[in-house]
Amino acid sequence: MADRAEFLQKVRHRTQRGRYKPTHAPDVAWTRKDGPRESPPIEDPPARFIGELEALGGHGIRVAGPEEARDHVLALARERDARLLIRWDVPQLEGLGVDGPLEGAGVEVAVWRDLEDFREVTGRADIGLSTAAWAVAETGTLVLEGGPGMGRSVTLLPPTYVAVVPVEKVLRTVPEAVGKYARGRLPANVCFHTGPSRSGDIEMSLFVGMHGPGEVYVILVG
Amino acid sequence: METEKPARRRETEDRRREGIASPVEGFNARAKRAVADEQLHDSIELFTNKSVAGRNAVLNALPEAPELRERAYGIKQETMANLDRYLGQMADAVEARGGNVFFAETGEDVVGYIGDLARRRGAKVLAKSKSMATEEIELNRRLEEEYADLDLEIVETDLGEWIAQLAGDTPSHIVGPILHMNRRRITEVLSETAGRRLPPDVEALGSFARERLREKFLAADIGITGANFGVAETGTVATVTNEGNGRLVTSVPPVHVVVMGIEKLVPRFADLSVFVRLLARSGTGQKLTVYTNFVTGPRGPGEIDGAEEFHLILMDNGRSELLGTPFEEALYCIRCGACLNVCPVYRQTGGHAYGSTYSGPIGAVITPLLKGGREAKDLPHASSLCGACWEACPVGIPLHDLLLKLRNRQVDEGLAGKAQEIAFKGFEKGMSSPTLYNIGSKAARLAQKPAQKDGSIRPMPGPLGAWTNSRDLPPLAPKSFRELWKEGI
Repeated sequence: MADRAEFLQKVRHRTQRGRYKPTHAPDVAWTRKDGPRESPPIEDPPARFIGELEALGGHGIRVAGPEEARDHVLALARERDARLLIRWDVPQLEGLGVDGPLEGAGVEVAVWRDLEDFREVTGRADIGLSTAAWAVAETGTLVLEGGPGMGRSVTLLPPTYVAVVPVEKVLRTVPEAVGKYARGRLPANVCFHTGPSRSGDIEMSLFVGMHGPGEVYVILVG
Repeated sequence: METEKPARRRETEDRRREGIASPVEGFNARAKRAVADEQLHDSIELFTNKSVAGRNAVLNALPEAPELRERAYGIKQETMANLDRYLGQMADAVEARGGNVFFAETGEDVVGYIGDLARRRGAKVLAKSKSMATEEIELNRRLEEEYADLDLEIVETDLGEWIAQLAGDTPSHIVGPILHMNRRRITEVLSETAGRRLPPDVEALGSFARERLREKFLAADIGITGANFGVAETGTVATVTNEGNGRLVTSVPPVHVVVMGIEKLVPRFADLSVFVRLLARSGTGQKLTVYTNFVTGPRGPGEIDGAEEFHLILMDNGRSELLGTPFEEALYCIRCGACLNVCPVYRQTGGHAYGSTYSGPIGAVITPLLKGGREAKDLPHASSLCGACWEACPVGIPLHDLLLKLRNRQVDEGLAGKAQEIAFKGFEKGMSSPTLYNIGSKAARLAQKPAQKDGSIRPMPGPLGAWTNSRDLPPLAPKSFRELWKEGI
């Protein structure tokens, strides 16, 4: 058991002893003699986002408006023969108006609020539905924030995961997305989610849907 | 009658033993066995070749890579020079968010803290995401032994780590823990757990693991993770997983414990954009890991999931002893595994031959430094000093140079073999005087005569035998460069 002051005092003492300053900057092996120093700018972020996500085995589509997005969610639920869908409790998904049509199609809708046992409900759900704070074109990444109404488990436990994201939320690069959190207070959870859950631990063979969703659909709206 | 050793001494000995095989010496014997194992060789080749190809492709496609590497080195250098300040800042930030912070001097401190926490919470199931720091201190074994009365079920949730745990095995690679096991062996292990014969295909094996481990995620009382990075400025802990187990054990159980080595710090959140891009590319050839998850304290007001209790354990366990020494750069490591994949020694022997938690070039450097030179005295020699590790390292750690410094230190500490001592001493003397150098090289050309055969040096008797037994040593040229130069070449 170490006392904080004592612990930090010891560390300080050690950083200062000997005044050894590492001298080996990284060697030149990585330094290119010619060619560009920076990645080319991304011309069409939504198209790039969809391309990157598809390359990872996810599915991306761009639709004109909320009605079309709603139809896609509905079609997917039918196709998957879903019995239970769980969604975030956020105005944007309320506005999607997907609950009624889903229930009309025989799909029960659970909303992430006042849940008695979130593990049981979310663990049983066939589809999780959320929005995203941002999307990143360069990598096909969704940036998910936790918060009231925005359960982390919704994006994790159901085997199929759908995110509905306004097209203006698509950023170009990872540094841009990290920069959104570089100043100010961070939510208790932020996740950069990039494609379906996967494992390569058995003979480097790809197994999709290891612990999180094996199917990831992103609907860009606008 | 045996006298009780003082408690402090016993603790130190325990720390030095944890996470390394016993006997710790004998790299050569273990390596010989490994090299003779053809199946192992195939497994290593498959993994390292695929990893290296993936890494090269994705790094070559990133023009910013060289700049990122230099920035990463610079950030880590700055972090280590001010480590006490950044540690204090991170602790303050976590506490301001309602989290708990514990400073652990040793692995024993970590075990005690988590054991007591499990007792207080009445915990039964502990779900773990892959963490080298907890491997290093053998957390699972020690919790089970020292808190036997709690009857804890500690479950590794990374697929590879879980299979290793079921097989009673240890990980043999930082990123690919069971690359040494082929599908037949994995099928055996999982079939035994299932109590039925599973078909030997990846879909069936993966699905079984998903189902079984899902129960554990939902039942877990405490989630335990390591940290890929800790952010001083915000108190954020970043973990990366492809499977999603890292995000699950931080989201579903009511308690989250982080075991973080103190060298994992970065000063600012913005620094993560440098490191996450390098880590995923160097480790697995991805642009980003599937789940790059940032946790800052316990869940906020109005949140239903996420841990209600958050504990950050800042673990030293020998790390701070490297600060301010010529070995400080070993602390810059981000555990991507790239140096293992390119190392000509690792590629022949695999990870278990090293007999320690950390294998490959980085393992050969940090094991003797963290555990003491005597305990891992073979490891600095498990290298050809070719420098491929340095070139592959996304932070630019001069690993081959650190290995050489470790060998040198062994000579100073009297740990080196006689031949090496003579060689180092002779080299030092010879290189410092042109006259001695000339005499020495002439003498060497004469001395090699009896050992020469077919243009190379035959196995030699005496202390140099170990070197020439396994190598063809080209003989020295009849005339030295200096002599030729004098003669006008």
